[in-house]
Amino acid sequence: MSRGSPLLLPLSVVALFLAMAAGILWGTAEISWSERLAILMRSEDAPRGLSLIIWQWRVPRVLAVGMIGAGLTLAGVLMQTALRNPMADPYLMGLSSGASAAAVGAIIWFPASVTTTLGLPLIAFLGAASAFLLTIGLSTRRGRSLDPLVVILAGVAVSLMFQALTAFFLYVGDPHATRNAMGWLMGTAAGTDWQELPLLFAVLLVSLALALFTTSKLDATLLGDERALSLGVHVGRMRVLVFLITVALTGVAVAVAGIVGFIGLILPHMGRLLVGARHRVLIPQAMVLGAVTLILVDLACRVVLAPEELPLGVLLALLAAPPFIYILRGMSRVR
Amino acid sequence: MSADPILEIRDLSIAVGGLPYVSNLSLSVGRGRFHGLLGPNGAGKTTVLRALYRALQPQAGEILLDGQPQQGFSPAAWSRRVGALVQGGGLLSGLTPADIVEIGLTMRAMTARDRGRATQDALQLVGLADKAEQDAESLSGGELQRCYFAQLLACDPEVYVLDEPTNHLDLHYQLRLLDEVKRRGRTAIVSFHDLGIAARYCDYVHLMCDGALVAEGEPAAVLTRDVLCRYYRVDGVLEGHSLRLEGPVLDDRSAPAPLMHVAE
Repeated sequence: MSRGSPLLLPLSVVALFLAMAAGILWGTAEISWSERLAILMRSEDAPRGLSLIIWQWRVPRVLAVGMIGAGLTLAGVLMQTALRNPMADPYLMGLSSGASAAAVGAIIWFPASVTTTLGLPLIAFLGAASAFLLTIGLSTRRGRSLDPLVVILAGVAVSLMFQALTAFFLYVGDPHATRNAMGWLMGTAAGTDWQELPLLFAVLLVSLALALFTTSKLDATLLGDERALSLGVHVGRMRVLVFLITVALTGVAVAVAGIVGFIGLILPHMGRLLVGARHRVLIPQAMVLGAVTLILVDLACRVVLAPEELPLGVLLALLAAPPFIYILRGMSRVR
Repeated sequence: MSADPILEIRDLSIAVGGLPYVSNLSLSVGRGRFHGLLGPNGAGKTTVLRALYRALQPQAGEILLDGQPQQGFSPAAWSRRVGALVQGGGLLSGLTPADIVEIGLTMRAMTARDRGRATQDALQLVGLADKAEQDAESLSGGELQRCYFAQLLACDPEVYVLDEPTNHLDLHYQLRLLDEVKRRGRTAIVSFHDLGIAARYCDYVHLMCDGALVAEGEPAAVLTRDVLCRYYRVDGVLEGHSLRLEGPVLDDRSAPAPLMHVAE
């Protein structure tokens, strides 16, 4: 199939449905095929306990993981374009660490009423925003454009700082609150419930709509700030929009599943390999790929060491290493 | 000053990072005329051109298009009338030459079919039709420059702002692409380092040094032996469209000091 074939997106959507079905039907609990069908059809004679596993555990988990995969991929696409940096993603730029430090701090230090009122996603959003501003601030030199490698190094430094802050919070915090925070910090989608999905869905939908509305400006930005400006793009305003979208997507993803690395880095590149870099085509394609990938990785985390569950971050880091090195080597071709 | 100016720069001053790059510069560009912006490295040519395509905000002065101030145009409306060939790189992974040309056209109201046709025609003009669907990252520097030239030719603005357009191009494409701009009869303001090429194409040149305009007029009148000695530190004379060296390249001590005045 040639690059940009119109069949790619429909095929990827089919793959997404198959991945979702796999994520819902497979797991550690032993359920026969007839029981699975009965549960999915909401049949009266479906076993109640197993029905609970499918409808209250697996379905919301698969939906959440799919949306997080799609959202983090969208964040990666937008960051890589706006900063014209093939290594930019919410994890490497320190956003995820900023979001998790803020959330852990809130869980440990704030009364439960505050975190409930403000909501963990908002707190994570503020943490991600601080980290992003810090990374960009550290990489900016007056009168010079951002150096892609300096941005990444600044992101790593900011990430380390927020990770140290998280460790400090965990070390000095009250043991009971610390246990809650640790459980959340493991980077797992286990325990996701239906209540968390509407916000995730709303943030994803609004972000996607805004991104699709600016595709031609994003395309122009790929050619460099000067060319984008000469084509009439308000580059500064577009960067602010990208900043808000990526911070919101990262904040809400971290609030639901903890730190999920590398998806935002690798999947945009896979999308470009398949359909090219024009955003009108790339964004939907890469998002579907991101959703499929994270659903399958999450499924693997559940079944590889069953009944134990692997943290999502461990398997992702393992799978991401080879493409990460490939992208790093390709950075010399940015021109 | 031009009789029928389409573009006017009045008392322009630009500082970047607190350093003055351009001071009190005024010039006008005649409709349908080919203007050259000349000067040694660091003279401020690119800074002036960047202000023309709105990459820099002047600290003082104004830029007028048909008598209307630049601020009165939205960035998109300005770019439809004033198009630029600029320096600097991008993230080209996943783009083809056809994509690069089309990206310029998507900022304009055109049907997809017209866009496709304009893209093909422009790539044909710059000799890249056979590489239209190739990975842009695999293009040479010269091919990439032709690709960006194709984008501008496809957009065909009223005013062409070209920042060192001959960069990376072989002699054939230097002449072919500038001939095409000239043939279209559009207004152009172009920075050049090659004085022979400047003399061949420009109806009028503006010579800059240290952020100020020091001379302007027809190429033969401006590019005198004294000017070449003072501002380019080269002892040479312009004969027609070529530069003939009369002596060795001058070092800083033997070259006469630049004169900071406007002569026409």
